[in-house]
Amino acid sequence: MPLIETEVKTGETRQVGSLELTPTTNVLKIQLPGNHGGLVWNRPRAVIVRGQDGVEHTLPVTDVTRMILWAMLGGGLIGALVIGIAYGIRRDKSTRSDNNDG
Amino acid sequence: MTDEMNVKQSGETGLEAFQGTIEEFLLSADVGVVYGEPIQHEDTIIIPTAEVLSALGFGLGSGSGTSGEQEADKPSQGSGFGGGGGGKVLSRPVAVVVASPEGVRVEPVIDITKIALAALTAFGFMAGMMARMSSHKRAFPEIEE
Repeated sequence: MPLIETEVKTGETRQVGSLELTPTTNVLKIQLPGNHGGLVWNRPRAVIVRGQDGVEHTLPVTDVTRMILWAMLGGGLIGALVIGIAYGIRRDKSTRSDNNDG
Repeated sequence: MTDEMNVKQSGETGLEAFQGTIEEFLLSADVGVVYGEPIQHEDTIIIPTAEVLSALGFGLGSGSGTSGEQEADKPSQGSGFGGGGGGKVLSRPVAVVVASPEGVRVEPVIDITKIALAALTAFGFMAGMMARMSSHKRAFPEIEE
């Protein structure tokens, strides 16, 4: 088994009324060298819905909580950057005006 | 010699036990772990989904030694085997698949507590940073020449 492995797994198809549902998952496997442990991260990817007419639709399973958390992290980083730049500009301005006064 | 054999045997038994644990651990990569059993309510079927994160680590060691200091004819022998490990399984609901006569839809599960905690942490960090910046400015007043 490789050290880091990602794969898309497909589960058993379930019949719901006239529809067939096939779940799929994203799996990330990390194995420590020497078979001394590892990590498995298994998360839902999508549900493939097959109708009576045989047409398949893929319904992605979106992790809204994670998306919000990433957005907050990104917003926080951008906010920190903007505050830092604004603070730097303000400090430069005040230093220049002080020098001019002096 | 017997001690060494015992250590070898206990080491192999320990390894087998850990091998079994590893195999069970790898089962957490199965699709059935993420998608729960369908729950039927009248015409609607609900399938809960969750993300599963499992981590495991262990270590084993053995050793043996002899000491001829006490009795030169019959040196004392010793051997030992030890091992330890730990693991954690985390599971978090992600969404619910709702299949009804109208169709199939995926309803997300939003963890408000987690989002609120993250927001509070981020807000605290930013407030702390701003306070530190303003106090830094006050802490070093410019020296008038």
